[in-house]
Amino acid sequence: MDATTAMYVAQGIHGLAYGMVLFLVASGLTLIFGMMGILNVAHTAFFMLSAYFCYQVVAWTGSFWLALLLAPIATAIVGILVERFLLRRIHAFGLLFELTLTIGVMFVIMEAVKVFWGTENLPLPVPSLLEGLVSIGGMDYPIYRLFIIGLSLVILGFLAFILYKTRMGMVVRAAVSDADMVNALGINVPRLFMFVFGVGTWLAGLAGVAIAPILTVFPGLADQMGMDAFIVVIVGGFGSLGGALMVAIISGLLSSYGVQFVSQLAPVLMFIFMAVVLAIKPTGFFGEREG
Amino acid sequence: MTRRVKGIVGGVILVILALYPWLFGIYFTNVIVTCAIFALFAVSYNLLLGYTGLFSFGHAMFFGAGGYATALALTHIEGCPLLVALLFGFLGAVALALLLSPIVARLAHSAFAMLHLAFSMLLYTLALKLRGITGGEDGIGGFPIPPFRIPGVVSVDMTDPLNFYYFAMAVLCGSLWVAWFLTKTPFGQIIVSVRDNDKRVDYMGFKVPQTKAIIYTLSCGFAGIAGSIYAMFQNLISAAALGIAQSFAPIVMTMVGGVISFFGPIWGAVIFAVIEELTTRYTERVQLVEGLILIIVILFFPGGFIHIVAIVKGKLLGFTRGKGAGLIKGKWFGK
Amino acid sequence: MKMTKRISSAIIVLCSLCLLGLPQAMAANAAFDVNKMADMSDFDPNHPVIPTGDTIKIALVASFSGPAAVVGQIYWISVQWAAHDINKRGGILVDGKRKLVQVIKADHQSRVDVCKKVCERMVLQEKVHVLWGTDGSHLMKVINQVANKYKVIALCAASLSDDLYDAQNFSRYSFMTSFSTEQIGRAFAYYYGQMRKKEKKFYILCQDYLFGHQMAEGFKKGLKEYYPDAKIVGEDYHRLFLTDFAPYLTKIKASGAEVIYTGDWIPDAANLLKQARQMGIKLPFANTFMDEPNFLHAVGVKGTNGLVHVSQYGVEGGAFKTPEQIKYYKAWNDLWKAGKWGAPYNSRLYEHGTGNIGAYRAQTYWLLSVIERAGSTKAKKIIKVFEGDTYQYVIGKVMEMRACDHKAVQDLHIELYVPPAEQRQSFNIPPYYWYKGYSVTGPSFKIPRDKVLPKADPKLCK
Repeated sequence: MDATTAMYVAQGIHGLAYGMVLFLVASGLTLIFGMMGILNVAHTAFFMLSAYFCYQVVAWTGSFWLALLLAPIATAIVGILVERFLLRRIHAFGLLFELTLTIGVMFVIMEAVKVFWGTENLPLPVPSLLEGLVSIGGMDYPIYRLFIIGLSLVILGFLAFILYKTRMGMVVRAAVSDADMVNALGINVPRLFMFVFGVGTWLAGLAGVAIAPILTVFPGLADQMGMDAFIVVIVGGFGSLGGALMVAIISGLLSSYGVQFVSQLAPVLMFIFMAVVLAIKPTGFFGEREG
Repeated sequence: MTRRVKGIVGGVILVILALYPWLFGIYFTNVIVTCAIFALFAVSYNLLLGYTGLFSFGHAMFFGAGGYATALALTHIEGCPLLVALLFGFLGAVALALLLSPIVARLAHSAFAMLHLAFSMLLYTLALKLRGITGGEDGIGGFPIPPFRIPGVVSVDMTDPLNFYYFAMAVLCGSLWVAWFLTKTPFGQIIVSVRDNDKRVDYMGFKVPQTKAIIYTLSCGFAGIAGSIYAMFQNLISAAALGIAQSFAPIVMTMVGGVISFFGPIWGAVIFAVIEELTTRYTERVQLVEGLILIIVILFFPGGFIHIVAIVKGKLLGFTRGKGAGLIKGKWFGK
Repeated sequence: MKMTKRISSAIIVLCSLCLLGLPQAMAANAAFDVNKMADMSDFDPNHPVIPTGDTIKIALVASFSGPAAVVGQIYWISVQWAAHDINKRGGILVDGKRKLVQVIKADHQSRVDVCKKVCERMVLQEKVHVLWGTDGSHLMKVINQVANKYKVIALCAASLSDDLYDAQNFSRYSFMTSFSTEQIGRAFAYYYGQMRKKEKKFYILCQDYLFGHQMAEGFKKGLKEYYPDAKIVGEDYHRLFLTDFAPYLTKIKASGAEVIYTGDWIPDAANLLKQARQMGIKLPFANTFMDEPNFLHAVGVKGTNGLVHVSQYGVEGGAFKTPEQIKYYKAWNDLWKAGKWGAPYNSRLYEHGTGNIGAYRAQTYWLLSVIERAGSTKAKKIIKVFEGDTYQYVIGKVMEMRACDHKAVQDLHIELYVPPAEQRQSFNIPPYYWYKGYSVTGPSFKIPRDKVLPKADPKLCK
């Protein structure tokens, strides 16, 4: 590959890598909304919490792989507790109350990480196995970013398998379209909700761990990611996994090629895209669920 | 309460507000101006949320639009009078609302909420990006605050905190009164019906989208007035006034104060002002305190402060006024 | 009596400077004297002794909550140090009475409205004499406005924006003791154009907001002035708190740049460097914020080698030239090493007390010296002494407060980051390195003050 082609290809892979991380965050958000009708404002706070858990596990054991396993699970446990003891109690009141409650949860998590880990920037190294570059057709590319793409694809496959090939997935999809009916059929919907909320926060947690080595773990991490993730979900259509995947990748590519070709506009490009889509279809690409 | 009692309570409040600066000094005078600004902001928000059932996630953009319009007018128009600057703030927010209403008036629930989140993010980013106009992160500041002048009659210096207090309170309380009056008119009854059952209102021959658009525009206009006073009070408006945190403010104030009542958001603004005054003196964990209060209120008193008052009243007077819990139980915010 | 004392101390300073033959030797109105420093062994930033009552009150306006709370902590320990020292010496004689220094936390939460409110509370309720601030020019602007309105002194020790002190924003109550955006850019340009004369291709990558653009403008102006042969091969502005720098880095790599100039602060600066090294881009960065030990440690010795840093608390050659300088350094470092300070002050960030912490401490000492010489906490008297004042830091550097626009005139230092083994060029006492885990200051070069005079608005300075 000559240098120019290599540059364009590299930008493509950058876009894909970042898009996949976005998808990991957004998928949990959109899953929880689609299933439970909860707009989980605290979602990116869970994402940040997991990055802190990851830092802690690495500090204790020195193993990134253990962190990749444990941190998202710990995050999911926190998520399940929040669902079981807070959200479930007010589910009957509807969206507004659940949302306000998640604002409160977000405030508490943001403050809690400072109580436990302080306010300093906590850096996390790339695991030694994934350090360095690999040559793709004569172009050097960081292995860790390829790992992120790979990991996300595995998760995507796993999600698709669960949702479309298992009985539980069928129940989840049914509950998305009509929770009351599923409940009437004798399935324990509250438990299902708890499960879905756990999976959603687990996904956020996974993204938090995946991105920690290329960023800095600090108390503003949630805000840093939040805007992008919400845009992906809004534009993709609330509750649509496919929409989230598509828009996440478009968003990743827009930001990398945007920097390459129209760098002046790069910071607002995604917003312009969003405004255009929403002006035409206010519910986003695949958003059917009205309210 | 009878009309007469209400009149007396109103009169007492007015007298207290008039004497307030003399009793508590400049600092607390400024605190109450901020509190009143947020009270109007939260009430304007509740016109959408509580009265119309429209849940917005980006109300700060109208607050910010009002602030920027006023700041720009005072910066660029030589000798712009005070009330004209205020009018600019109102119109700035109204113009933005009119621009958005064709898109948003046909939506409800989460789509409405999300669209507002999206547009407020867009405006926030633009405010940072268009530095030439908005001053970017620094915002627009240091513009002249003109005196309040009625030609040939009076000219009052508005850079004096005391004078500004009376001006701001007159505008803010006046706006609150107008908003309150609005909810008591037949139009106010229609918007409540739109919230409860929009199809039925439609069948009755009222135009639902248009009704929504009108109340939406008015609500945004009130937010614009709050933003305008805020800009003049701070002598500064910056992108933070458009940000997400600023959009959260009226939501949490309304919810903590009580979404079911006109006065709930005002209570919410007062409660948060008090919390902030107290916590910032003793701890750096303001957010933790606010978060916990929010969680506790939502879990145990979903009707907010007004709900608590109703319960206490019920206990004391031996009957339940039931205004709180009853309404909340009906899932009137959809899912 | 006071007069003679002052003259004699000035003579002592002068003589000691002459004896040492320091290049900066120049007469200052006052200087920091380590031998007068109190015994600091009981200093504990977590449990500071804060006097109350009739005191000299300084409000430390900073972010103590929110994502940037670490910044407030850094200011707190720095300012508290100076206050603790002066208080143990018995305070300062002002308005006919010896008074202790009381530092009060004022949390602006990084929000302008909160900042205004808290500043007003400090002035109206706590009756502070000085507002000490802060990160973020929009917040410093508010502090200056409040200072101007209520006629109290404001000290800009940490905001770097030039336009805070242009004709439109200038307040005679506010003084900027920090260096500023244009100085930083021009210092780098002077170093590359007039001293190093090697790299020619520069890439500018800054944050897409007012401050980032100011940083870029300063560098471009400097290149025109000091390095006309230089070529800017690319110029980009990224959004604040960017997550993924890879697209920019790929572009930079393809541009053939030899040096990346960036005005980014942490966390952007940290993520930028980290991601560049992960992508195998070994280019040097010229930046003033890449001095945060935690993240430099994570990037490691190799990745940080060759970074170019500009400092307002630098010295040429060895950092420790006199026993006094060693004593001053040890007073801090010994306490840190003894583990007497609890979290968060036990981390790497606070090990040496130099760099930014050194600068904030020195600036606070300067302020207190001005108040002492003014003999008053009244703003008018402080302004009279502060305008045109010169003050010598413990490191030997002389600061001058330009009277026309209240900006500090000072030499700046360009520092090259080298591996631990070579750090003895700068850290010239045992153990002969600053940090074992990464590259940091080795050789350093003085940029003379007249080459990097702070930007002056012609409406203020004729």
